Amino acid sequence: MDTAPPDFKSYWDETLNDLGRFSPAPAVTPIPLRTTGFATLYGVRLTSLGPYRIFGYISVPTGTGPHPVLYFTPRYQSVVQPVPQGISNELRRHFIVFSLAARGQRNADEPFAADFPGWLTEGIANPASYIFRGVVADCVRGLEFIAGWEGVDPGRIAVVGNDLAFMTAALGNGATPGATHGATHVATAPELFFGLPPKGVPYPRAEINDHLRRTPADRDAVRRTLSLYDLRAFAPTAPAARLILAGPAGAELDGKALAPLAESEHATLRESKRSNYKDGLTLLSWLAERFDMPDPQALLPRAWR
Amino acid sequence: MPPYKPIDFDAFWNAVRDQADGIPLLPEVVADPVRTTPDVSVFRAYFTSLDHIRIAGWYCRPAEFSGTLPALLTLPGYQAEPGIPVDWARRGYAVVSVGMRGKLRSNSRFNPGIPNLLTHNIVDRHTYAYRGIYADAWRGIDFLLSRPEIDPARIGMVGSSQAGGLTIVTAALRPEIKAASAGSPFLCDVENAIRLTDTYPYQEINDYLAAFPDSRDAVTETLGYYDGVNFAGDIACPVIMNIGLRDNICPQEAGHAVFDAVGASDKTLYPYPDQGHDAGAHLHGPVVAEFFARHLRKEGGG
Repeated sequence: MDTAPPDFKSYWDETLNDLGRFSPAPAVTPIPLRTTGFATLYGVRLTSLGPYRIFGYISVPTGTGPHPVLYFTPRYQSVVQPVPQGISNELRRHFIVFSLAARGQRNADEPFAADFPGWLTEGIANPASYIFRGVVADCVRGLEFIAGWEGVDPGRIAVVGNDLAFMTAALGNGATPGATHGATHVATAPELFFGLPPKGVPYPRAEINDHLRRTPADRDAVRRTLSLYDLRAFAPTAPAARLILAGPAGAELDGKALAPLAESEHATLRESKRSNYKDGLTLLSWLAERFDMPDPQALLPRAWR
Repeated sequence: MPPYKPIDFDAFWNAVRDQADGIPLLPEVVADPVRTTPDVSVFRAYFTSLDHIRIAGWYCRPAEFSGTLPALLTLPGYQAEPGIPVDWARRGYAVVSVGMRGKLRSNSRFNPGIPNLLTHNIVDRHTYAYRGIYADAWRGIDFLLSRPEIDPARIGMVGSSQAGGLTIVTAALRPEIKAASAGSPFLCDVENAIRLTDTYPYQEINDYLAAFPDSRDAVTETLGYYDGVNFAGDIACPVIMNIGLRDNICPQEAGHAVFDAVGASDKTLYPYPDQGHDAGAHLHGPVVAEFFARHLRKEGGG
């Protein structure tokens, strides 16, 4: 990949090697309040790079499986819910659903509690200590964990989320000693990493501009850090079956900008239609088709059926 | 069918207001040089609310202005943190964005977590989570009134989702609000909404009722005191409301119910087909900007 800096591979190899030094030491606890007749919910604590203890919600359908997996990587917010807001709870009937809280987010906020805004630029001038080095490692740890869960269908593991989903699916492909298998599909709606942002972008990327306005001497260092997180550099190793959900035409991260992420025979690139109903249908239809789900309507929230 | 409204609804909220009014506001702003831009001054804002809980938020205003400014109160959605309202400040408003109890920086003494917030003490109206959250919202108006640079006769409120519901409640309780824009209102027509949805946050109540079926009557009783529909009749200021006809989080039926209940004669509903919980935000933004300009700006600016 032309845009990858020379030390891209060594940076991430070292990160994953460091992650591999720590056993995940999972502690799984049932959550009866959110357990239904068709799915059991658990909370899990895992050790990640650092060491740092992170958290996730796992929902497991009733029955022996094998079950397809939907792994929701963290959104850019403090709160992580068992199923992301707006997604039908009925999905838990059909998938193992895993939602991860990375370091700094609620339930994974000791000893580090992230600020919002602020998470994206925590330590950004130094790639070795940048908070997202740990956050990406957390996401990879989550993928290793859920891919090894009993009853998982190893041929249908989708990672869904923003930039972190794409990075996780690209990096967590059996790369660490604990890994059994990786993601087979990825759906990503990038919002964080694509080089230095232009002036006037909204949050969260506006955080980077805030940082540089206050500390202009950091510009080269920040540019260098961001080059290690540029999604284009992850594209060659991401799963071929990928859905790229770009911003609307004319936005900073529109289809034209994100086209390099879709250079794969099995890739699908869609620009936002500025409707989370229509964009949500795009995601769920893609999943249903790629996972050969018998009743795609069953995946939709009630208001969309 | 309209939601159940307890006979002592007004007495209950008058008592809560009396209790809150007895607590000194102790407003404070601290300049935030990282978030301040050449055209917008950004401050971290603080005030004290019900139960003596310290509430944090953001306060923004134009870097340069003359005279007094029109002002806005805004709030975050259920799972969001308060945003920094630089865009409104750029348009010439002083704006406070309040992080109610439970939000980051306002959660050191109250932190039931999400999920759980929506059902925290839901069987008891006197300790239900939203008793304090509603107070935190309306104390945002008191914070604005404490600022010497704002015009107390030109205060508006804007928000979507949970903030849409809180806009309804606050506009009903605080006549200082002269114009209100509510989008995709949460916390309205709740008993109906939980039947129509299978998504979080309302799913929290369904989870709770499934786990504790004997609590249904107590939950209904509590929700009667908190449902936005039961507040809406007291709103007198102009209101606009936008809803998505494919809203998967706050069902459009609930939006219609609360809009119908709004007491103001000057009210307009903007229903957006083929839109979900964002309720046509990209189309509706200019409508909201024009609405506040018409009601809160003086001719010739200011």
